[in-house]
Amino acid sequence: MNRLEPEIGEMKLELQLKLQAYLDGELPARATPEVTDWLARDAEARALLAELQNTRGALKTFEAELKLPESREFYWSGIQRRIGQLERTPSVDEPPVWLSALLRRFLAPAGALAALVIAATLITRQLHPGGATAAMETETAFGNAFTYRDYASGTTLVWLSYPAENGFADFLPSDTLR
Amino acid sequence: MSDKAHSSADDSTLVRAAQDGDMGAFEELVARHRDKIYARAYSMMRNEEEAIDLSQEAWVKAWQRLKQFHGESSFATWMTRITINLCLDQLRRQKRQRSESIEAMDEESGGVERQMPVVTVNPTEGLERGELRQRIDQALSQLSYAHRTVIVLHEFEEMEYKQIAKTMGCSIGTVMSRLFYARRKMAALLADLKKPE
Repeated sequence: MNRLEPEIGEMKLELQLKLQAYLDGELPARATPEVTDWLARDAEARALLAELQNTRGALKTFEAELKLPESREFYWSGIQRRIGQLERTPSVDEPPVWLSALLRRFLAPAGALAALVIAATLITRQLHPGGATAAMETETAFGNAFTYRDYASGTTLVWLSYPAENGFADFLPSDTLR
Repeated sequence: MSDKAHSSADDSTLVRAAQDGDMGAFEELVARHRDKIYARAYSMMRNEEEAIDLSQEAWVKAWQRLKQFHGESSFATWMTRITINLCLDQLRRQKRQRSESIEAMDEESGGVERQMPVVTVNPTEGLERGELRQRIDQALSQLSYAHRTVIVLHEFEEMEYKQIAKTMGCSIGTVMSRLFYARRKMAALLADLKKPE
């Protein structure tokens, strides 16, 4: 049996953590006497310190033994290939600044506007359930989108004035992605 | 700079040459530090293939950001930090994909670990290096990523509690209790592994 009785469950966590900090050299000087007194009078405290030291020592050995299981040439060729790929193609994760700006300024508002137009179209369809056959044209409240609907053929066309010419793009609703 | 000059130059000379676009100098840096970088990635990921992949990714990132290295720390330390951050990102992604929080479970069971009997015999004493490595490897694999990471950062990377807290985005108190739990758990696992079949 490798373990000592009695258990150390009753030890206060705070004191245990101070003991660990003492081992790691992170215990403030003012707290050191509390830990050294505990170590002097309690065998379990000394056993716990020894356990923590043994674990630390074992881990140090482990780290030093790890070696890359690939040859220098093979490993380097993988890195070189990735660098080559990156330098040939622009990063997907990081689009150019001008593209990000364009997306923020125009595509998001245009998307929101398109959603509004689709909603308006659907509502219009429900208000005129197959009765009207004539084509019609609707201008949205923002004045930069038009729909053309032919109920007879079931065709709807939507024009977007792109980019927005009335400053709408600069006043996005709060729930629109920027 | 020739190959011979590369191999005899110190790290800072090689870094300067690499910053000027000398790929040969960068290759020499990779050759010098690849084991350490791989070891760090492996310690955190516990998977050879993933560790190789992430360590290579770290070198690529380093090449891209080489101009940002101004020598405040050693090149090896800077490289290791890049590797650690990549591994942490990957581990967080993996954790998000799991249905339940293993980390939360570990925090809850920490109380049990604190009450474990102390391992009085050094469980690694008298072992051959290969066997020791195998047992530690097994034991480390049984820790959660949060506990393994705190072990790696403290024991291998020799970071202070404060630095670990910053790297992992948690409080110093959490670092201390995670480290304590992880060490106690390691000791118990190593002792169990040493028991005769």
